Amino acid sequence: MFLRNYWYVAASAPEIGRKPFRRIIMNEPVALYRAEDGTPIALEDRCPHRRLPLSMGRLVENDVLQCHYHGLRFDRTGACVRVPGQDMIPATARVKSYPVVERYKWLWIWMGDPALADPAKITDYHWLDDPDWGARTDYLYAKCNWQLVNDNLLDLTHLAFVHETTIGNMALVEHAAVRVQRTPTGVQVTRWIIDQPAPPTFVKVGGFTGNVDRWQIIDFQPPSFIRLDVGATPTGTGAPEGRRVGGIQMRNLNAMTPETDTTTHYFWGQAHDFQPHNAEMTERVFQQIKTAFLEDVSVFTMQQTNIGLDPDAPQVDINADSGGIQARRINDRLYQDEQAAMNAAKTAAE
Amino acid sequence: MALKFRVELVWQDEKETASSIYLTGDGRVILQGRAISPQQRAAMSLPADGEMISVDRSLIRAIKEML
Repeated sequence: MFLRNYWYVAASAPEIGRKPFRRIIMNEPVALYRAEDGTPIALEDRCPHRRLPLSMGRLVENDVLQCHYHGLRFDRTGACVRVPGQDMIPATARVKSYPVVERYKWLWIWMGDPALADPAKITDYHWLDDPDWGARTDYLYAKCNWQLVNDNLLDLTHLAFVHETTIGNMALVEHAAVRVQRTPTGVQVTRWIIDQPAPPTFVKVGGFTGNVDRWQIIDFQPPSFIRLDVGATPTGTGAPEGRRVGGIQMRNLNAMTPETDTTTHYFWGQAHDFQPHNAEMTERVFQQIKTAFLEDVSVFTMQQTNIGLDPDAPQVDINADSGGIQARRINDRLYQDEQAAMNAAKTAAE
Repeated sequence: MALKFRVELVWQDEKETASSIYLTGDGRVILQGRAISPQQRAAMSLPADGEMISVDRSLIRAIKEML
């Protein structure tokens, strides 16, 4: 199940240059490169002649991409502009081109109907290039369905087990009061820990001398955008009412792009508002989270392996799954809506 | 009996927010509502015995959507 009419992250901005780069997205091969003026371009990575990836070819004059096999050339719109040895260019000799936008240090691609590709719909990840925040991004390749990553990020209780030695402890499970709010456009999972000692890592970077009010707010925007807002302020200063003063904040920012039904491009970043221009701090915060994320990726792989062995094996839901269950329901409904709209458009065209 | 883990489910549409559904660690579902007074029972010819609460329709919709 793929939802197509959304902006997804296709690559981190520095990944793409003048050399064509291949990435499979939703079972479609895509060649990404930059025009001479730096504009990112995305074309179907499959020559319509003998289906070799165009990314194996090279750019020639005017940002035209030449196939490595027989030299057919395609302009940035995907139209074939040259067939060696003949003047006539077959009308069907073209590849798909995809809308692409560069934003928040990522390249965003629209895999659905290009007429609907409004860049204003790109999910907000401004913390990644906001000068008031320090941030670093990363890419992980997850051998699992993209919704398993959603499930994981919307669930706070696995921290106590998967991340026992890094960022979790049993208190997260044993004394949790979690609020799962389902809005018309998404899901928010919220947890407040009021008037408790700050964890050692928070003391180190926030300089807290007394108890703090801590929050963990997970925001899900469909189909696969999950932003974690975590932080702490000295207790009683009004953070639960929205006054975040004298404390620290971090954002863990995740954007999952389906590669296939069983593999996912997992783009993520970590941002912090304390010492935002201290590169060493950015690196330290990033590495701590990355260690935990690599633990998750191992779990995803084995989950997917078992799902592959028997997709119909029974699965039990527990209270902690509430956020993930709501996210899946939203995605299921959006998928049905999108399929219905596509079928209606197809029928109208026939 | 300590309820170690509790999830509050809140459902919101464009206009209103339903009152909460609580999933408790001991396997219960607790709904937020108002107790029915003896006077209300009498006025609406409701059974006189047993505990009763009234909940709004948006909560029923939330139950259908979220549970």
